[in-house]
Amino acid sequence: MDKKYEAWQNQLVKCIRCGTCRSVCPVFQAADNENTTARGKVRLLEAVSEGKLPLTPELQQRMGKCLLCKACVNGCPSGVKTDELFLSARKLLADQNGLPLAKKLAFTGLTYRKLFDLGLKMGAVFQGVVFKEAPKGRGKLARIPMPSAGLSQRRIIPPLASAPLRTRLPETNTVSSPKVRVAFYTGCMLNYIYPEAGEAIVKILKAHDAEVVIPAKQSCCGTPAFTSGDYQVGRYLAEENIKILADGDYDDIVTGCASCGAALKHEYGNIIEDPKVKQLWEKISKKVKDITEFIVEQGIKQELREVKAKITYHDPCHLVRGMGVSQQPRQLLQAIPGVEYAEMKDAAKCCGAGGTFSMAHYEISRTINDWKLDNAEKTGAAILATGCSACRMHITDGLGQRSSNMKVLHTAEIIAKAYGLN
Amino acid sequence: MQQQIIAELKGLVGAQYVMDQLEDRICYSFDATFRDFLPDVVVKPGNVEEIVAIVKLAGKYQVPLTARGAATGLSGGSVPVKGGISLVLTRLDKIVDIDTENRVAIVETGVITETFVNAVNQAGLFYPPDPASAKTSTIGGNIAECAGGPKGVKYGITRDYVLGMEVVLPDGSVVELGNKVDSEMTGPDWGMLLVGSEGTLGIVTKVYLKLVDKPSAKQTLLAIFDSLDDAARTVSEMIASGIIPTTLEIMDNLTIRAVEDYLKVGLPVNAEAILLIEVDGSAAAIAKQADRVMQVCKRCGATEIQAASTPADMDKLWRARRAISPACGKINPTKISEDATVPRSQIPVMVRRLREIAQKYNLKMVIFGHAGDGNLHPNILSNKHDHEEMERVEQAVEELFKAALELGGTLSGEHGIGYMKAPFLKWETGETGFAVGKQLKQVVDPQELLNPGKLFTA
Repeated sequence: MDKKYEAWQNQLVKCIRCGTCRSVCPVFQAADNENTTARGKVRLLEAVSEGKLPLTPELQQRMGKCLLCKACVNGCPSGVKTDELFLSARKLLADQNGLPLAKKLAFTGLTYRKLFDLGLKMGAVFQGVVFKEAPKGRGKLARIPMPSAGLSQRRIIPPLASAPLRTRLPETNTVSSPKVRVAFYTGCMLNYIYPEAGEAIVKILKAHDAEVVIPAKQSCCGTPAFTSGDYQVGRYLAEENIKILADGDYDDIVTGCASCGAALKHEYGNIIEDPKVKQLWEKISKKVKDITEFIVEQGIKQELREVKAKITYHDPCHLVRGMGVSQQPRQLLQAIPGVEYAEMKDAAKCCGAGGTFSMAHYEISRTINDWKLDNAEKTGAAILATGCSACRMHITDGLGQRSSNMKVLHTAEIIAKAYGLN
Repeated sequence: MQQQIIAELKGLVGAQYVMDQLEDRICYSFDATFRDFLPDVVVKPGNVEEIVAIVKLAGKYQVPLTARGAATGLSGGSVPVKGGISLVLTRLDKIVDIDTENRVAIVETGVITETFVNAVNQAGLFYPPDPASAKTSTIGGNIAECAGGPKGVKYGITRDYVLGMEVVLPDGSVVELGNKVDSEMTGPDWGMLLVGSEGTLGIVTKVYLKLVDKPSAKQTLLAIFDSLDDAARTVSEMIASGIIPTTLEIMDNLTIRAVEDYLKVGLPVNAEAILLIEVDGSAAAIAKQADRVMQVCKRCGATEIQAASTPADMDKLWRARRAISPACGKINPTKISEDATVPRSQIPVMVRRLREIAQKYNLKMVIFGHAGDGNLHPNILSNKHDHEEMERVEQAVEELFKAALELGGTLSGEHGIGYMKAPFLKWETGETGFAVGKQLKQVVDPQELLNPGKLFTA
């Protein structure tokens, strides 16, 4: 057997092909095709390792048809670590066949931090050229179809913020008598698309007497790159972030983005090779916390004001299965006076976004999202709270397309309101 | 396969429902057993008319055709051992009718078992067959393999609920076998021929199923034994004394320890065996039944009997039962799960024979299963990459089939024959029985189009 497949063996052999993954995989449920199930993909990789199937572009396409939502990891009776297996396969396939040009350019762009930042700021100025306003201020619609950029013409995407989060706030946000020193890793979406949610997080942290540092040199967490198999870019970004976060002597590293948090806390462990960097990572990974985790650990800081709203909560995959955070946001929301909390059916099921998945497979992604919206709407809630900007974007898109009045907010925005911080 | 055939298939059902790339064929080359057989093409018809057209096309070009539901089978029934067309039936997934007045349901073949069970439950009735794969398996697959489950002790298995069906025969004609009337008796029970036929005689497209009353209450008991023999004897005596619990599951020491290691629910790890017993019915009836169950357990040497008093306790015990598969997977990756079944009076002998076989071939074997209907699940825990060990596994499996048959039992209680037990089928049917089966297949499917390499064409 080819050496590069040896690492897969102890996972591949565990799959008993029982098909339980069929009952949990959202992509399978939308597509009804065995080539989307975990056991199907495991068998494909087994065939690769047996020399029966080369690393073809067709295989790459099929390995791409996965949200990395980890539902199969959780549901697998034999405990096959399918997420790690599939990422590793995506890497070998990207090494072999390359990535689509648009992806490759975009990921390379991420490594030029300043240029990337400039590009998105310019984008905020010129976005009107290619996008038009969606009705009722719901967001933007593409003026022309842009399949190479993964944009369906009916997809409503949020506008880029004219002033990104990190230009709105200083790098160090002091409080009168700081009890903890916290690094706030914003990630890209809170910075460029949802800065208000980022501001809410900073305000909450300050209310907890934290000195909040928003490291100016932080880069994209790299998730879009390494999940597509581009480990070179993913690893570069991971190393940059690890060094910057290890450098500041922080008590906690707080995130407000499920995917960034899961990357910092767990995924980096699978892509970092340099033992020295890995040591650094082990040090920082223990400090990484989602904002709701931080608040619950510290205890609710002040008397909560009334927020009159019926709220439901959606578990982002990378928060519930990536970081193991699911009780905290619910506890906090339920603690707010006036909040009528309504749990939706299948709250922990993927919303269908899956990062770049929704660009490559928009229609499947939309079908899965529609199940989520149906379940959310059945609760009668006016607000859907969640802790992931990618979920927020995808759910907002779906709600816009069905002209729903339901609003999507980051959990932290609701807590900030209850803290009286707006 | 000729491109002409693939082009015609695409014309019949639409190109998006036909797959002939290697990457996709690989995904349809297996079920829950461990060998792979590539189909030449995968086709997913959307209705009976399309199935008829595909069957006729297969006949015209002499291409093997193997029906497939969710492919969760444990004997290899849906695996296309001779290649050809893999006919995926999951698009036929409508529950056509749940007729509560007449207690009959009409479902299409690709409906997921659990989806159906839940729908029946919501309608206020009960469909008892509960294979472990119910979350994924299809009703059509349950019929093709005659699936069972823990509730089989009291409620029987899939065949006990099949009233009739719509079938596409190998020549493309569509027939209705049986009908919706529970007590229909117009000539032979043709439908019964199709139950367990593994898609070798026809493609089942629609099914009429019998529904029963929902039990109003249930009680779960856990009996602990310090001898596996005593536990086995309890099973035989309980049935002999006329007590029929809903479920009567046995777990040996190795199983108990594996599950406890995995779940940590407080199972008695020093026990040689436990019996997990459920009784259901009206509240008054189950109290009486539970009492009698406990008496038999005590008489046969149970050291302790626990009654689950809360739904949470009950759930804990059943969680332990469901965790056996994953828990064993942690010990050794390849699980060869058998379902050889013996008359319930022979359970103690069979358990002894199984242990001897495991010892003789130096294999790790866990014994658990639906002891209450004689259906033990000896599972050999192995590693398919260890060829020397796998040879010993094969010998042990042969020997355990022989043991079951010698005791008046059968090769399969609920998993079917598939490719895995096909070589041993003659042991059970005898030469004459096998020849009759062969002739029957010849008459119905003279071209041997449907699922060749299984049952009487292996």
